[in-house]
Formats: sequence, structure tokens, C-alpha cells
Amino acid sequence: MSKAKIAYGVLGVVTLIGIATWIYQLMGGLGVTGMNNSNSWGLYIICFMFMVGLSAGGLIVASSASVFHVTEYKKVALPAVILSTVCICMAGMFVLIDLGGIQRVWRIITGPNPASPLFWDICIITCYLIINIVYLYFMTSKKPGAQDKVAIVSRFALPVAILVHSVTAWIFGLQIAKEGWYSAIMAPIFVASAMDSGLAMLLIALAALRRAGVFEVEQKLFSSLAGLLATCIAVDAYFIGCEVLTMAYPGAEGAQTLALMTSGPTAPFFWFEIVCGLAIPFCILVFSRNRQKTGLVLFASALVVLGVFCKRCWLLLTSFFEPNISGANGITLGTQAAQQSGANIWTLTGTYAPTWPEIVIVIAVFALGVLAFMVMCSKLLPKR
Amino acid sequence: MTKLAIAIDLHRCIGCNTCALACKMQNNVPDGMLWNRVLTENCDIYDGAEGIYPNLTRTYLPLACQHCENAACQRVCPTGATYKDDKGRIEIDYDKCIGCRMCMAACPYNARVFNWNEPVRSTGFNYGDARVPVRHKGVMEKCTLCKERTDAGEEPRCVQCCPTDARIFGDLDDPNSEISVAIREHGGYVLLEEKGTKPQVHYFES
Repeated sequence: MSKAKIAYGVLGVVTLIGIATWIYQLMGGLGVTGMNNSNSWGLYIICFMFMVGLSAGGLIVASSASVFHVTEYKKVALPAVILSTVCICMAGMFVLIDLGGIQRVWRIITGPNPASPLFWDICIITCYLIINIVYLYFMTSKKPGAQDKVAIVSRFALPVAILVHSVTAWIFGLQIAKEGWYSAIMAPIFVASAMDSGLAMLLIALAALRRAGVFEVEQKLFSSLAGLLATCIAVDAYFIGCEVLTMAYPGAEGAQTLALMTSGPTAPFFWFEIVCGLAIPFCILVFSRNRQKTGLVLFASALVVLGVFCKRCWLLLTSFFEPNISGANGITLGTQAAQQSGANIWTLTGTYAPTWPEIVIVIAVFALGVLAFMVMCSKLLPKR
Repeated sequence: MTKLAIAIDLHRCIGCNTCALACKMQNNVPDGMLWNRVLTENCDIYDGAEGIYPNLTRTYLPLACQHCENAACQRVCPTGATYKDDKGRIEIDYDKCIGCRMCMAACPYNARVFNWNEPVRSTGFNYGDARVPVRHKGVMEKCTLCKERTDAGEEPRCVQCCPTDARIFGDLDDPNSEISVAIREHGGYVLLEEKGTKPQVHYFES
């Protein structure tokens, strides 16, 4: 118990430091981040995509259990929905943190542009959060008939969970300006990577809850979920393979973008995803003998989660690297450094590195997420 | 209908950057960014050359907002802050901009600049035309086709200041306007036509 209290304390302090840093960012503007006119989205949007994925994956498993009557998966539905709720709140926080003019955010409600994927995303995330909360309410309700309502909610939850990540993909996949984003397979890839990273995160959370003695999961169920994870990894790898082949084959513009991924500045992220995020975990989990070993399953799950994070990095950043219209001196950076020095206002290619306020804020949001997950689990999970 | 636009004669452009600086002065553009920039094509240094000596060429490409007819930036703006006005210009309502930078990712021309922090001006005061609104941190900005000047029947500042008369301002919807005639006669073209954004800014070589 005291251990939990220490954890609460540490996570709380980290969160407070993050809030202070966010206030610093609000005062100074987004200029305190590494973003600039050549690379206008960074770590926050990477984390946003990542958290939407983690969230959708958990809920897809939980609601499939009810929709398709997979009785054994129903046992983990409650922690899965708690995880999903926490993750979607974190995703929403990242979007808000990334806004340059948060004081005018109400404009989306008073005068929305229905053609904007970002507007769709705000609608679907709100909808998704409400469904999560309703789901949690009925799942923990003691009233008679609550279980039937869980079944009804799950029928809405599944399509919305798939949509929430598809819409996130469309923020990028519908942009004709960016060679690496504009692709019909972007939404399926996002759903597939949500399934594998979300499931992997669920396995990690279940193992942590088991370790803490809060929630018991049978080894058989744990191994069965690990088997499902192997399938999801394979589907994700297949979609990425399709995309990469389509980019490479004509040897034209797509191949140039691909060359940036495989040997350019985002290559470490690309290869980590392919080797450590897809190949190694799949090779581990494809053998049923390995799926019995909790340690190996957790190792593979952690690799999958890290791999998908790296994937978000290369997906977002590669497309910023080469402007469509190149030529010296390139793009004006518009950053604080560019304004103060007078020199170095130009860049030929997209350039970005996260700064300390960005990193501190991201760590703090994760700390707050873990904290919220711990609190919700201790309140909502049935006492043993 | 009116469809205001600029056509640029690349044959006349000498890469002097007067348009870029005239724009900066007119529109109170802060330090560290430009609405209108001049690129030396296919080079990694300004005023560089293409090819191998003695077969060298050098071309300049003045680049600002293309005021696209099918504007990607306008489509994605969640609040409608970016809009197409009745004169065919793409404009930004700074009061509506929430700083999400969706438009910046959507623009194929890297025409937009963002106020990452409270704008700094090396003069220490706001310069430029008094009619131009002052922007604050957290909003997007870009070429307005000199909205304040063109509304009053004047030419955009870059057009007025170009020392070689390489820029023509006018209405594309009027087939007899100087700009329409120049585009027609000299085979004017647009940048990144394959993206389908239908830019109104045209380029030609006289």
C-alpha cells in the first residue's frame, strides 16, 4: 500500500512539473518547442497519434468480446476500457497542448468547417470518450439488466473505435501536399497499428495489475491474447509492406520519400519499427511455447509499443523533410532563434528536434495517465 | 466574379528580392519569416548556378501564397479561419485561427508562416501599412495579396516595387485584363499543377 502511495506522490509531482512547463509554453508560445515553419508538427502530434492508437486497440478487444460473444475475453473488458478511457483523454490533451491559440478553441464549436478532418476528429474523439464512460458505467453497475446494456454499448463502441483511429489517419492521409501521407491505406494501417500497440499495452497493463495483486488474469487467457497480438502484428506488417511496395515500385517520387525513410534522417525510426516492432515480436509470439512465458510476452509487447511509437515518428516527420518546391534559400524558420540572431532564418529541408519543455510536458502527460489508470483501477476493479 | 491574381515573368526576374522586402515592409511581417521569398531554383545556395561550367544556368522563382482556386489549406481549417473571399483571394481571419497548423501541413507550397512566439521586430515597433492588422503569437499568416491595398484599388506592394516590372496584377476572370492576356500569350503555367490545387498565381517567360 505504501508503495502505491509513493508512486502516486512521484507521478503527482511529475504532473505538476508538467503543468508548470505547459504554463511556460502558454506564456512563451509554441516557440519554446522545436517546431518551426519547415516542420510544423512534432512530438505532441506524434504522441497524439500514438495515444489514439493505444486507446482504440484496447477498446476494439473489449467490445469484440461482447459483439462476437468471445466469453473468455469479457473478463479483461473492464481493465481494457479503463485503459482506453485514460489513453483517449491523454490523446485529447496532446491536441490541446499543441494548439497555438488555445484561448480561441471555442471557435470550433461556434463556427466549424465541416470539411476539416481535424473537426471530424474532435467530434469522433468526444463521441468515443462518451461511449467509453457509458461503457464503464454499465460494466461496473450492480443494477439488474446492466449486462445487457453492456452488450448494446459494445455494438456502438466497436465501429466508433475503428473510426476514431481512421479519422486520425485521415488528418494525414487526405493531404495531397505530402507524398508520404497521401495514401488510401493510411486508415487501415492506423487501425492495424492501433490493434497491435493497443493489445500490447493491454497485456503490459494486465501483467502490471496481476503483479500488483489488483486483478487476476488466467495464464491461458494471457497467452490467448498474446496469440491475437501475433496476428495483429502480421496484419500491420502486411499493410506496411503493401504501402512500401507501392511507393517503391514506380521508382518515382514515392521512391524518393521511401529512400528518406530507409536511409534518411528518419531511418533509425523506420528500421526500429520494422525489425524490433514487427519482425522480432512476431517471431517470438508465433510460437505457442513462447506465449506461455509471461516475461517473453511482455518483452514482445514492449517492443511492439515502442515500434509503433517509432512508426508515428517516421510517418509524421519524413513528409516534412523535403519541401515540394525546393531551391535556395528554402523556407523561413520563424523560430525564436531565427528572430533573435537574424542569421540562420533559412532552412533547405525540414528540420526538427524536440526541446526540453516538449519532452517534460510529454513525460508529465504520461505520468498523469499512469496515475489516472492506477486510481481508476483501484476504484473500479472488483476487490478480491 | 472576380479572381484576383499575380502573374510573374521569370524571364524578367533578376532575383533582387525587392518583392520579398517590399512585402515584409508593407505587411509588418516579423523577424525570422517572409510571406514572399525568392528561390534560386535547383541550388542549395542563393545565387547559385545549375549545370557544369561553362554550361551554367540560373533561374529565380519568387514564391508566396498561390491563392489556389481549390485551396487545400481552406479545406482543412477546422474553424473556417482560412477562407476564400469574394475577390478570389485566400485570406485568414486572425480572430478565428486556433493555431492548429493543419493548413501549414496541407499547403503544398510551404507558403504559410506561423507566429511561434510573440512576434519580434528588429525595429522595435510595428512598421508597414497602418491598415494591416497586427498579428499576435499563435496565429498563422501569409500573403494576403495585399488585401488592404487591393481593396482600395491599388496594386500589391510586390507588384508596385518590382524594378524589372516582372509582376502583373489583375483579374483572371476578365479575359481582356493585362494578366489574362500575358498568361495566354506567353503560355503561363502554375506550380505543382498535378496536385490539383489550381493556383491563381501564374508564371511565364516573356
